Amino acid sequence: MMPSNVRGLDFQSLSLLDALDFAVLIEEEARERYEEFAHQMELHRSPEAARFFWFMEGNEEKHRSALAAQRKERFGDAPSRVTRAMIFDIEAPDYDEARAFMTVREALSAALRAEEKAAAFFAAALAVVTDPGVKALFAELHEEEVEHQRLVMVHLGRAPADPAIHPSEFADDPVAID
Amino acid sequence: MSTLQAKDFKSSLRPIWCPGCGDFGVLQALYRALAAVGRPPHEVAFVSGIGCSSRIPGYTTAYGFNSVHGRSLPIAQGIKLARPELLVVCAGGDGDGFSIGGGHVAHAVRRNFDITYIVMDNQIYGLTKGQLSPTSPRGLHTVTSSLGSLENPVNPLLFLLAYGAGFVAQGTPVDMPGLAALVEEAIRFPGFSFVNVQSPCVTYGQESQQAKAQKQMMKTLDSLGHDPSDRLAAMGLAQQYGEALHTGVFYRDPNPPPTYDALVRERQRHEADGRTRDQVFELFAH
Repeated sequence: MMPSNVRGLDFQSLSLLDALDFAVLIEEEARERYEEFAHQMELHRSPEAARFFWFMEGNEEKHRSALAAQRKERFGDAPSRVTRAMIFDIEAPDYDEARAFMTVREALSAALRAEEKAAAFFAAALAVVTDPGVKALFAELHEEEVEHQRLVMVHLGRAPADPAIHPSEFADDPVAID
Repeated sequence: MSTLQAKDFKSSLRPIWCPGCGDFGVLQALYRALAAVGRPPHEVAFVSGIGCSSRIPGYTTAYGFNSVHGRSLPIAQGIKLARPELLVVCAGGDGDGFSIGGGHVAHAVRRNFDITYIVMDNQIYGLTKGQLSPTSPRGLHTVTSSLGSLENPVNPLLFLLAYGAGFVAQGTPVDMPGLAALVEEAIRFPGFSFVNVQSPCVTYGQESQQAKAQKQMMKTLDSLGHDPSDRLAAMGLAQQYGEALHTGVFYRDPNPPPTYDALVRERQRHEADGRTRDQVFELFAH
């Protein structure tokens, strides 16, 4: 079955070139989402969560550029038929994961769910793709996502406990409800 | 295939919505729909009223007009008459569309301008900090209804169907691929098209309207076997607004009539036929 967060791309006929372009765009989307989240946290005065999202943004950019280099080495400037309009939140955390006054632990948990989502996507895609090169690439990407989950878990283990009073408790309630 | 990318429609202005706001997903769906339609940003005009969601024109690279509260549709109609070649999209909230600007909707629909109207319906006035909106459910406690609302909500889907809109759909940013497809289809529809988007307000919205609840409630009209050419069936399903979350195309006119902007152009051609400029002016003198 086709993954529901992809439009207009037939996974059964996916070539290695398509798959590499697809993988680059997944990382690009995730990088942009973490950048957006970092900006949102900065705007809403949650600097620790913003720092973590910038860290994730940097990681996603590293993965994107490594995959883009691999694509360039194998296929040069061959035109791409995969576009960003075809992919939706595969590795990027969902927009509703962000919250005003997020703690670092909440930011890490959001990233963990995003990595789990990406691993599940590649596991499902592996069952559909037929090209051996694409299968090998998706298997590698699946393993990477599982490894990222482990790394985020390590960070979660080291992260300070959430404060007894959540930062959102300091926000004003609407006046008429008091 | 369009060579445009979603990022071609993204401006350098950063959204200042609350983190987690549904409008982020709507904006992404819009970028992708516009890229798929393939009209470059300079051929697109975005018009909005006032409200959180009405900030959207500023976040796109298209022509944008963040206009007067509730007046996006009259302005959009003017743009379409003056520059018929532009792709005109209106965006706004439920308050902007069905309260302050409620009177304009019926007339934009009956004229059948080739305009796409996207309402981000969060059932609350979010920008002004949580007052009752026209689509708020009866009984809702807000800062302006502290004992619970005594009013029945407006049903945007039923309104638009009753006014005679040729394309009526509903989506949610929880299903971004589905929403992008709906917006794309609405833009491509030759006539007035309406997309109601259940866009959660994370700060003042009800619990039952948040993304998690929407993921549980959402049911596509396709899965119900709905025939989108059947207006009466669409009205039946639209009556469940507020109780069920149906997504997809409620109604698509299988034989869309000519648009107002096309009829105006035709009349202009006809009246100007063989006449001098002065003779055309003379027509209006009597």
